[in-house]
Amino acid sequence: MSHGTVMPVEGPATLAWSEKAKAEVADALSRYPVKRSAVMPVLWIAQREWGWLPPAALRLVAESVGLPESEVFGIATFYSMFNLRPVGRHHLQVCMTLSCSIMGADRLFKHLEKKLGVGHLETTPDGRYTLRKVECLAACGMGPCMQVGFDYHENLDEAKVDALLEKLK
Amino acid sequence: MARVTIDGRTVEVPAGTLVTDAARAAEVHVPIFCSHQKLPPLGACRICVVEVGTPRLGPDRQPVIGADGTPEIAWMPKVQTGCTTFVSDGMHVRTVSETAVKARKGVMEFLLVNHPLDCPVCDEGGECQLQDLAFAFGHDFSRMDEAKRTFDSEDLGPIVKKEANRCIVCMRCVRYCDEVMGENALTAHQRGVHTEISSFDRQPLACEQCGNCVEVCPVGALTALPYRFKARPWDLRQHITICEWCSNGCSVRLGVRGMEILRARGTEFRGVNQEYLCVRGRFGHEFVNAADRLTAPLVRTGAALQPATFDEAVAYASARLRDLAATYGPESIAFVGGEKLNLEEQYLLQKLARAVIGTPNVDARTRPAAAVTGDALLRATGGGRPALTFEDLTDAQEVLVLFEDLQGEAPFAQANIVRGFRQRDLHVTVAHSRRVKLARPRFKGDWLGLKPGTELALTLGLTRAALELGVPDGFPAEAAAALTASLAASTPEKTEAETGVAASAITAAARRMREASRKALLFGRGVLEHAQAPALLQAVENLAWALGAITAETSSVMAFGPHHDSAGALEMGLTPECYPGYVGAGDASARASYEKAWGRALPGAGLSAREALTAAAEGKVRALWIFADELLSSAPDRALVEKALEKCELVIINELFLTRTASRAHVVFPVAAFAEKEGSTVNSERRLQKSNRALSPRRGARADWEVLQAVAQALGAEWRYRSAEDVFREIARLVPGFSGLSYASLLPEGVRLSGPAMAPRLKAVAPAASGSGEGLWLLSGGVLFADGSLSARSDTLAKLAGSARAHVSPAEASRLGLSAGDTVELAGPAGLARFGVEVDDSVPAGAVFVPSAGSELNRLGAPSGAGLRVQARKAGAAATVGA
Amino acid sequence: MSRGPFLFKDIDTPGLTGIDVYKKGGGYETVAATLGKTPADQVIEIVKASGLRGRGGAGFPTGLKWSFVPKASPKARYIVCNADESEPGTFKDRELMEKNPHLLIEGMILAGYAIGSNLGYIYLRGEFEYIQRIVDKAIAEARSAGILGNDVMGTGYKFQVHTHLGAGAYICGEETALLSSLEGFRGQPRLKPPFPAVEGLYACPTVVNNTETLMAVPAILKNGAAWHRQWGTEKSAGTKVLSVSGPVKRPGNYEVPLGYSMKQLIEVDCGGMRDGLKVKAIIPGGSSVPLLPAADLDTALDYESMNAKGTFLGSGGVIVIDNQTCIVDALWNITRFYEHESCGKCTPCREGTYWMAEVLERLENGHGKAEDIDLLADVADNILGKSFCALGDAAAMPVQGALKHFRDEFEYHVTHKACLANRRRSQAEGVRA
Repeated sequence: MSHGTVMPVEGPATLAWSEKAKAEVADALSRYPVKRSAVMPVLWIAQREWGWLPPAALRLVAESVGLPESEVFGIATFYSMFNLRPVGRHHLQVCMTLSCSIMGADRLFKHLEKKLGVGHLETTPDGRYTLRKVECLAACGMGPCMQVGFDYHENLDEAKVDALLEKLK
Repeated sequence: MARVTIDGRTVEVPAGTLVTDAARAAEVHVPIFCSHQKLPPLGACRICVVEVGTPRLGPDRQPVIGADGTPEIAWMPKVQTGCTTFVSDGMHVRTVSETAVKARKGVMEFLLVNHPLDCPVCDEGGECQLQDLAFAFGHDFSRMDEAKRTFDSEDLGPIVKKEANRCIVCMRCVRYCDEVMGENALTAHQRGVHTEISSFDRQPLACEQCGNCVEVCPVGALTALPYRFKARPWDLRQHITICEWCSNGCSVRLGVRGMEILRARGTEFRGVNQEYLCVRGRFGHEFVNAADRLTAPLVRTGAALQPATFDEAVAYASARLRDLAATYGPESIAFVGGEKLNLEEQYLLQKLARAVIGTPNVDARTRPAAAVTGDALLRATGGGRPALTFEDLTDAQEVLVLFEDLQGEAPFAQANIVRGFRQRDLHVTVAHSRRVKLARPRFKGDWLGLKPGTELALTLGLTRAALELGVPDGFPAEAAAALTASLAASTPEKTEAETGVAASAITAAARRMREASRKALLFGRGVLEHAQAPALLQAVENLAWALGAITAETSSVMAFGPHHDSAGALEMGLTPECYPGYVGAGDASARASYEKAWGRALPGAGLSAREALTAAAEGKVRALWIFADELLSSAPDRALVEKALEKCELVIINELFLTRTASRAHVVFPVAAFAEKEGSTVNSERRLQKSNRALSPRRGARADWEVLQAVAQALGAEWRYRSAEDVFREIARLVPGFSGLSYASLLPEGVRLSGPAMAPRLKAVAPAASGSGEGLWLLSGGVLFADGSLSARSDTLAKLAGSARAHVSPAEASRLGLSAGDTVELAGPAGLARFGVEVDDSVPAGAVFVPSAGSELNRLGAPSGAGLRVQARKAGAAATVGA
Repeated sequence: MSRGPFLFKDIDTPGLTGIDVYKKGGGYETVAATLGKTPADQVIEIVKASGLRGRGGAGFPTGLKWSFVPKASPKARYIVCNADESEPGTFKDRELMEKNPHLLIEGMILAGYAIGSNLGYIYLRGEFEYIQRIVDKAIAEARSAGILGNDVMGTGYKFQVHTHLGAGAYICGEETALLSSLEGFRGQPRLKPPFPAVEGLYACPTVVNNTETLMAVPAILKNGAAWHRQWGTEKSAGTKVLSVSGPVKRPGNYEVPLGYSMKQLIEVDCGGMRDGLKVKAIIPGGSSVPLLPAADLDTALDYESMNAKGTFLGSGGVIVIDNQTCIVDALWNITRFYEHESCGKCTPCREGTYWMAEVLERLENGHGKAEDIDLLADVADNILGKSFCALGDAAAMPVQGALKHFRDEFEYHVTHKACLANRRRSQAEGVRA
């Protein structure tokens, strides 16, 4: 499974940092003796701002850290957690690696597919959930597990997952 | 040095040699893909894996000697990539052991896991490294039964076709585009087996379109669209010759089928450029095949030009020349143009003019308003000392580029600077009114963004700042005091006030150049065609000495002539004041050897091209012979050329096409293009290189030297040259600096010319006013996709260039109410012209930049003072750029 | 009830993430006692003598690694914590940082001092964003308390540390790939030599250490090398936090002295198997190491004993595979992981992991041929030792281990077109990977 970037995508033509983000970017830049090292934290700031990284955001990041656009694009697409396509409000990332698989992750994923009506890398039509298979989340002893956004949810079973989904508006 | 034994063969190589290079020295073939001579070691593809061992050391730290008397070798447990392993003394390498072969075959098999069997439809077939190595090292069967990963193929713009399925992720294209071109147009997306090379957001590549990515791609993942599906490599005859687009003198490998050049490639290891070519070198050859090449001489009978046979045209031209010389004297005839001819042709041109006709009026340089003398340029580039090479340029610590946009004028020189910056410790300072490519922030250089027209002031300011640091070693002492005194008014502060460049930037730039032990000073048309060229060139010579860029022994200066053999034109005396070899025309005793050799008295100094045209307009010069020059467009004073052509009784022109200028001539000789004739040329390193014939001339066309000989013979000269080589032999015999040379001696690397030793002039230059006036400064120059009249006849280049546009800064655009795509009307003292608008933040306020090619800028007027100013206003309706 | 003798001893102390509680337990005292008082060289010698080895997976002697930093280099030095913890089966650093972030900071200050570094980075995997917030809070507390900054605890030493969040790439756990990523490039590994200790971050001398390794340093410097050697074996001194997963009754992190019996860990500490399952195989050190059959359950958990059995202690991620889990299926799962995580730089790993995953898919789904088994072995052999970095080896070794001990399961798949037993599959009908 890939992290599914098939560019080009539609997105806003230009983007600008909010005042808050601008301050965060400046803080990120201050932490490294070399400007380009801030590219990952600045990509995270952009992703927090807009939920994903449209081309305009990548351009903005490139400008902020002084890198060619193409390089920022190459960097962003290397890492699976940078979203190069829009994601739903709740990004359900289910670990499928060995330990979780042994403990029932596949069954759990199947359940989610059926319940939400979407498959891997797909978003529900109402934009509420994006479902995704991911690799080991370092929760192996507490599997099956899932990250929703950045939040860990562990020791899951179908019932717990159903209850969780209810709470995720 | 290190002694290395590879498959039993021992070689001695310098320390710091990579195992793959040592193998080459030992004539052992180790395959490579990701490794490239211009890129640092990567070790990614793993095809070069070999077994490496070093002598086993005993407790005494000495090699243990085995039973057979040789050191015991401790072999490393894992195979190593030869391209990342440096040799050590005593190292042993096994490339064909069972272990090495299995490893290599394994890598080969992995490369073919996802690589499609596209050979039948892939342009790379027949010259594909993967194909060759699969044949040499791979299995003859496939164990891989699974579905392959696939991508969509895409066009990355008009030049590059990408079939990502074929990509082996060697990363050569991305790294080359980054480290050699400085364009960063390509990047790798995603990771793992889904890694795909593309551009930002899959947009068409906005880059120099050089096609070097295609060149270095070892498979058919990147191929050139203009060449797509045209031929197989075995269909082609491939000839290496010298590219004709600029003075860098790159070697280009032309692929010819029948009578057509189908493509141009780099030469991998040969020439100054090896695999590199710019977009012009790579795709500009199409004009050679153009349908409207002249196929017969033309002679004017009555009002119209009529086809004639070669003999008829020769007879007519020579008869008219004889008549005019007899009636008005030989000095009524003038020869202009010739910077694009081969050395041999340049030699014969001036020999015909001076020794057969007897006229002193020879000048190749038609573009400058006030041309500099050949010896002045030689002095400014080092007075005969061995010239700077491109390798020196890449290796420099400090580079100062004066008033030249290398991207348009000398792309290979620019690439050397980029590579020096990316891979070594090169720092560049660019003095230019426009923020040209090398002045962009990503190259971390310094930009001296001077106001247009203040070039002389800045040069004087830099010189003074340099001399303030003390007089450099070897600077002629007697000149120092006078020069320093003359620069009293060029303080950093005063220079800042005049040029707009910060005083601190000026002093810092001078200091950096002085303190660097390896440096380079570069200039070109921006100086040579400047309205104040003679004074500016003298100022540059002074600056070069003051910076230590010329010393008693060395020269670190490089000048770029506008054309590929501008340097040859100077060597062969195509300037009114010099005979070949910089022999002074006005010096009777110096001329004597030529008089003796050519068997007659020879004239002294003559008219420059500009003076000849003026004289022609006044009726004093009655015949003009023009060599491959669209004079109407290229000369600064268009009205003067019009008048000259109108008034002249005889205009002969050697041309490839029926250009506007040619259509005013009385005799038009169709001549061979660069690829259609043999000869030699001199590049901006002052390197004399052999240029070869790749295909026969177009029907009806002859090499310029053949035309010259025919007319000379018709005028009674006993010329018996059977080939260009015959001419070269005479040059070697007679011209100082060429003695002992032969065509054979020009292989493989050419010969770096030096001498004659010329004492520096170091004359003080008075500051000159840059001129006040209203309106915008008109800036011009060469750009990558458009150069002279020929690029418009190469489809690929013409498409990339589009029509010439007027570039203005955002501030200026706003002031004039212009947006991109609008039409602007520029008005100069002599006329009007309209151009589409491009908003360009590299252009300073108060100026407008229009590329010189295809824009007919001289309609607006000739420069005066330090340049030309124009009025600009938004034009109503869209208009074509008309004549 | 203490959960371990050393790092886990007081890890569940309430409020330990806050500096006050941390200091109350003696936290940062070693910093004050060492900086400027014990020469840096001596610090390195103590750590060398303690026998501490890298706890991330490679097990390289820590003091020795520190000693490779050139003493005379004028360049800046960097200490980097590898908190990328992405090795399947491993989740120890997560708990350590979540509960005791100040101990990591203290370890970094001391390690930094030992190598002459004034600036450190903690590279956290992207999924550990909440851990980053916990650690950042601790860093802010330490800064306010004058423990980080231009004058560490009044000793005159300068030290600053920043967290850096990754974004989902296992390869960034490889030290040179981590440095590439930290520098702002695609996270691809770099040529060695030069080694990071000589030319690492920004081509400056850099030491990259695992979280658990760094967290061991303060106590070693406080109590001495011999103290650390009270646990473990001659070659494997100290303790190790093992992360146990799989269908045991009590999975989780366990800190044990090195040399502890794996049988004891699983059967006693973890309570043995649940649901009536039995142990079929154990992967002792994260998915990158060859598995051991149940017959080798009683192997000692130390570096040399695992090596003797043809595997590695690695990260200490103990994955228990039960007798209702298909080895082919498990191997397919692991191989897919390496295929997804391969950075793509080198041919054998990029293409080989893809190929092996495809073959395993066919084998698992009943479309395997007899030749496929030897093919798998040969492909793994062509990757091992030929790839640019250890990820290739990590992909190849599980294949070799599985084929060595469970070839019969592979053959069964070919002849019967089915698994011997596959609990996962039957529970998740029609699940495709």
